[in-house]
Amino acid sequence: MSRSLLRSVLELRTPITRLPPSFLLPIQARRSLSSTTTSQTPSSIPATPLDNIAKPAPAATATATTTPTGEPVAASSAAAAAAALYPKQPQTPTTLSPESAQSIAQLLPLLRAQPAHYITAHIWGRPYLVTAGDQIRLPFRMPGAVPGDVLRLDRASALGSRDYTLRGAPYVDERLFECRAVVTGVETEPLRVKVKTKRRQRRNKTVKSKHRYTILRINELVIKGPEAIGL
Amino acid sequence: MSFFRVTLHRSAIGLPERTRGVLAALGLRKRTQTVFHPVSPQFAGMIMKVKELVRVEEVDRALSPAEMRDERRPERGFWLEKPAHRA
Repeated sequence: MSRSLLRSVLELRTPITRLPPSFLLPIQARRSLSSTTTSQTPSSIPATPLDNIAKPAPAATATATTTPTGEPVAASSAAAAAAALYPKQPQTPTTLSPESAQSIAQLLPLLRAQPAHYITAHIWGRPYLVTAGDQIRLPFRMPGAVPGDVLRLDRASALGSRDYTLRGAPYVDERLFECRAVVTGVETEPLRVKVKTKRRQRRNKTVKSKHRYTILRINELVIKGPEAIGL
Repeated sequence: MSFFRVTLHRSAIGLPERTRGVLAALGLRKRTQTVFHPVSPQFAGMIMKVKELVRVEEVDRALSPAEMRDERRPERGFWLEKPAHRA
């Protein structure tokens, strides 16, 4: 009872639940929503997302922005150990067929021109359809991740806007997008109690479990132009 | 040296003792179990005896159990770009 009361109070406090239903919202509402939620994020990455949105950054500048952020990391050994825990995994390059290359060159600028984008990012093989500002609860606790860690999601099976979708087979080229997520914390589920009974025995055994789940917030999703893969 | 990669695909329940013996000699106990054996006439004959039950591939080297587990593991899909400060 007290938990549901607490939850209703918490829901009243968040601005998202007080919005009218989605069919009453204007089409651009997702844009404004994402900007408010990103403003709540800790100022861990100061001006980089704005820079990347403002100019269509090719792949070369993207690597240039990531290298200076990597240098202060090496100062603390614990952080370096954490970075070694989840190193970058290069994608196995796939050759595009001429038809798909042509359709990317023609249609990807149209996809980019529409404002709000979504991505179907895969983490450990599971798909998460998210847009910037979304919060996701992973179905597991990520070992070694602490709040504030910036994760770069690099496997996506689909990128899209309102009218266009770019589908990968199985994954979209990782140079075509930049998706960053921040670890915001760990959540626990309500205590689960399972009563185990055995035949012809008088006592029951109760097994308790309370799993912990890592919470991520997608704070940046930038879709690059076809020039990022040399088209 | 190349290897047979043999996976038991159909169960041997209800089959003659002779066939079960061949599977035991190949080291196959349960379905979807995979074993590696060097390519040789002996192993080829054993595989031939149970060809209806197994799936066979020829590979360059035998994989360790850890490597086979990595093969099944899905891609991670993220990397740690900027670790937060740790105490």
